Amino acid sequence: MDETKSTTAVVETRSDWPPELLLAMYERMVVIRRFEDTVYDVYSRGIMPGLAHLYTGMEAVAVGICMALNESDNITSTHRGHGHLLAKGGDPKRMFSELLGKSSGYNRGKGGSMHIVDMSLGILGANGIVGGGLGIATGAGLSAKVRHENRISVAFFGDGALNEGLFYEVANMASLWKLPVVYVMENNTYGEYTPADKSTAGSGPARAEAMGIPSRSADGNDVLAVYQAALWAVERARTGLGPSFIECETYRWRGHHMGDQGDTYGYRNAEEIDTWMRDCPIERFKAVLIAAEVAGEPDLAAIDRRVQQEIDEAVEFAKNAPYPESAEVYQHVYA
Amino acid sequence: MSTPERIGTIREAINEALHEEMTRDERVIIMGEDIGVAGGVFKVTAGLLDQFGPERVIDTPISEAGIVGLAVGAAMTGLRPIVEIMFNDFTTLASDQIVNQAAKLRYMTAGQTQIPLVIRTAMGAGRRAAAQHSQSLQAWYSHIPGLKVIMPSNPADAKGLLKSAIRDDNPVIFMEDKMTYNLKGPIPEGDYIVPLGEARTHRQGDAATIICTSSMLYPAQEAANTLANVGIEVEIIDPRCLSPLDDATLIRSAIKTGHVLIVDEGYQSYGVTAEIAARIQAKAFDYLDAPIYRLGAADVPVPFAPSLEDLTIPSAEKIVELVKELVA
Amino acid sequence: MAIEVVMPQLGLSMDSGQIVEWLKRTGDPIQPGDLLMSVESDKSTVEVEAVERGRLHIVTQPEDGAVPVGSVIAYLLADGEAPPVAAPATPVAASPMAPSREAVPIAEDHSANGREGEYRPSRPPSSPAARRRAAELGLDWQQATGTGPAGRIKERDILAMAAQPAAPVAGALATVKMTPVAERLARSAGIDPIELARRFPGQRLGRDEIETVIRESVRRARQTAAPETADTIPARSEPAGRLRSLIAERMAVSHLTNAPVTLTTEADATELVRLRATLKNDPQADVVPSYNALLAKLVARALVEHPIMNAYLDGDRIVYWETVNIGTAVDTERGLVVPVVRDVPAKSVQEISREMAELLPRAKAGKALPDELIGGTFTITNLGTYDIDAFTPIINGAECAILGVGRLVDKYVVIDGQPQVRTMMVLSLTFDHRLVDGGPAAAFLQRVKQFIETPYLWLV
Repeated sequence: MDETKSTTAVVETRSDWPPELLLAMYERMVVIRRFEDTVYDVYSRGIMPGLAHLYTGMEAVAVGICMALNESDNITSTHRGHGHLLAKGGDPKRMFSELLGKSSGYNRGKGGSMHIVDMSLGILGANGIVGGGLGIATGAGLSAKVRHENRISVAFFGDGALNEGLFYEVANMASLWKLPVVYVMENNTYGEYTPADKSTAGSGPARAEAMGIPSRSADGNDVLAVYQAALWAVERARTGLGPSFIECETYRWRGHHMGDQGDTYGYRNAEEIDTWMRDCPIERFKAVLIAAEVAGEPDLAAIDRRVQQEIDEAVEFAKNAPYPESAEVYQHVYA
Repeated sequence: MSTPERIGTIREAINEALHEEMTRDERVIIMGEDIGVAGGVFKVTAGLLDQFGPERVIDTPISEAGIVGLAVGAAMTGLRPIVEIMFNDFTTLASDQIVNQAAKLRYMTAGQTQIPLVIRTAMGAGRRAAAQHSQSLQAWYSHIPGLKVIMPSNPADAKGLLKSAIRDDNPVIFMEDKMTYNLKGPIPEGDYIVPLGEARTHRQGDAATIICTSSMLYPAQEAANTLANVGIEVEIIDPRCLSPLDDATLIRSAIKTGHVLIVDEGYQSYGVTAEIAARIQAKAFDYLDAPIYRLGAADVPVPFAPSLEDLTIPSAEKIVELVKELVA
Repeated sequence: MAIEVVMPQLGLSMDSGQIVEWLKRTGDPIQPGDLLMSVESDKSTVEVEAVERGRLHIVTQPEDGAVPVGSVIAYLLADGEAPPVAAPATPVAASPMAPSREAVPIAEDHSANGREGEYRPSRPPSSPAARRRAAELGLDWQQATGTGPAGRIKERDILAMAAQPAAPVAGALATVKMTPVAERLARSAGIDPIELARRFPGQRLGRDEIETVIRESVRRARQTAAPETADTIPARSEPAGRLRSLIAERMAVSHLTNAPVTLTTEADATELVRLRATLKNDPQADVVPSYNALLAKLVARALVEHPIMNAYLDGDRIVYWETVNIGTAVDTERGLVVPVVRDVPAKSVQEISREMAELLPRAKAGKALPDELIGGTFTITNLGTYDIDAFTPIINGAECAILGVGRLVDKYVVIDGQPQVRTMMVLSLTFDHRLVDGGPAAAFLQRVKQFIETPYLWLV
């Protein structure tokens, strides 16, 4: 088993990666952070219907992986999908509209937070069923192979989904047929309200290896570490070597969903949350960028402000947008 | 009026449709357990691997959920997959993929994607295969918006409907009766298409209407002959498609005869027969001269012993008895 | 600018929250992340943190009760800023508009489900088809004798009842529910029990109802134009039925309002007969068109050439129909109906024949749909099977004319000075002289005759 845990030295950073790439990574993480904070705020005001599962604190995983992909590559996401969708290039205006159930949303308000799709960006959807994206991503890998297209697919899933039977069925076929798929497991310690060590015997990477799928682990709060692991897996996929498995350890700052606040479900304590919050992936990357002289505090603050404005505009846009017409209830059931 | 045709079995008709469609459109692939090298447990897919190769004819591991899951993803990204699930009893293992993913993705994404997927699967009792290999679960899938459900009863319909299903951009459940793969009939040559959503009247009559799905056509026809001998001329209609259902044809016939019996091989309770009966009574109420009768399989898991199994399946004798009661 | 602090949404089902205690006081400086208050939602107590900064100004206190999610409970002010003067959050009192959370007890189901023995309906069992048929015939279905399972009254029982002569008064009276006094009264007054049953369906009749009927019939007897006939000549009567009454009214109206003139002529139908015979003998022909179909087609063709015959008078306007819909008069046991074939010029003879083969028998059996019995622009009525030659048919409704067709009869006819046997048919055209004059109407009839005699003129 390949246990390389990649970390980033300051010297490596400046010489290995172009500044545009690094700044783009930073910006994407900030977009996710600000977007999710805004969702928290809007949801708390009681104007967002349904459920919201926030990605706050896990930004480095989505961005580290997606920055290694082309626009035409596919991803599938989870119920906690805003991060992946934004990292792949999703439009905050259309996403926020979808969360509010407006017709200007990606799915015209008919899917909501957990089902957003953007085929032009290769986003085959967030999914409300735990593990639901695994089959779809693997199938996308199959079609790329059958049609001889240079297209790979990434399936994001969590430590909870690791125990769904579907994972083993599709990963087995991916390995058997050398499909161009990357399985990215975000181990954020909890599957809903149950810690991973109380639900998972053995480890994710060991299970993947058992099916002949090589794996890597990365510090999920170090965006460059994730990025390097992603490059390794993407290369394997594109050159016909088949699927790979990446485990990223990270942590979600907010509850499982918006109703999980404070001590409601009593499964974690403030101390644990504080510890992880001090390991903020954005702050860490900021420090790396500054130390490597890729950008200064004022440059990064300017990015922060620009992003905040973009998000604010997206929220206003969504709030002012119309709801879908009644006739839409019966549309799109059948092609 | 005379399309060239040959006499062949339902198995041959399906095989022919698969060959023709895979030739016509290179995006059509077929996947399932033992469908390639072995040609399928019911030998329906024989010859496909040799003609189209292992990239398009894929033998899979035993992973119903995974197979359908892959097919959904492939359908979203440019292929038109056909999945064979050996026995419809095993579709339970793929329920999430069929019901929560395939059926709903087009709607939830407001049309951004579509799932041109066909799931071919075998239903029907009588094979002494016992409870877990003998069910007829068409009611479950007909209930789900976003899915289409087809049940051909004869070779010509099998060919024409399967071709339509493969060309349809929606997820379609194509249910084949395992007991009638060897049944012979005319198969029209060439690009023979039967549009989805049209019922077919096999026999005309004034006394009563028998609506029957899939292989239930055959006991119905036998019953019709028996009834004709005592002066009761029945009309026999095969809906062919359960979703979408050709209500209009069924209702017109109910208005004409005033007496209706619906026969389907699903369990008696909460089945396809109940839905059709409800639709007919809503639109033909004033023309019904008797309550609508339904005949399904007995409300028991299918037993193994042949003498017991035969008691649970709708029979010609039972149909005759019920029609006589209707018109009494 | 004062920043609003609102009651947060803390759970899927939460729509109001109760402040348990404020953890800061009015005037305290607040940073993002500071815990402001603890709130009780329907699930648990949660501490809520600030997302903005400012000086706290509390608006809603715990003793104000539960407030709706989203309502303002405090402000965060800039230094020196005064709080907005706004009404505090409206407490959620036991609102009369709020739906009750208690399950409404379902009313006891008193239907016959599973308790058939206890439920005794006052009416006999009957099928919807029977009741519909009875309504069409103007009969009381409860008077029928049911021959279906468990005595169910079926459609055939209604038809049987309609065909029967009225039962003798005494016997029939027994089927109507009456008090003994009422029964004695009805019997002695000779009141028709069917009339009673129709007038008071399902009721148990008392003396009052009988006396009402007696008074009315006496009044009617005094007013009737031919009282003597009604009293002295033995007769039996039955309800005319809805269809009959409708026909009666329409015929009378037609006859009174238009100016009917009937023209007759004799057409040589030999070619037409030969056409049918040839088709009948040809094993390859799939359809042998009926005379009705052939006549409909050729008449439609003639109408296209003579549009005034396919028109109607609407007050001071002449309305020309743009399509030709031919009605064919059909006798049913209840009366005359006219099923219509639409857009005849667009259809081939085979299509018309197939359509009529399906429609006419159904109309005769009384199973035509209402839509199929309206919408005609010209009517053809054929009494040939009754050996009728010429007659004076009455125009149907608002149409301009009606063509009566007589029997096909072989006759000697002089052609080029020689007697020959030809199959002849009399045509009787009644037309509305308000709309069209004799000349044009005759020209139309002549064309029809020509089409019958020389089918190839309209077959191509």
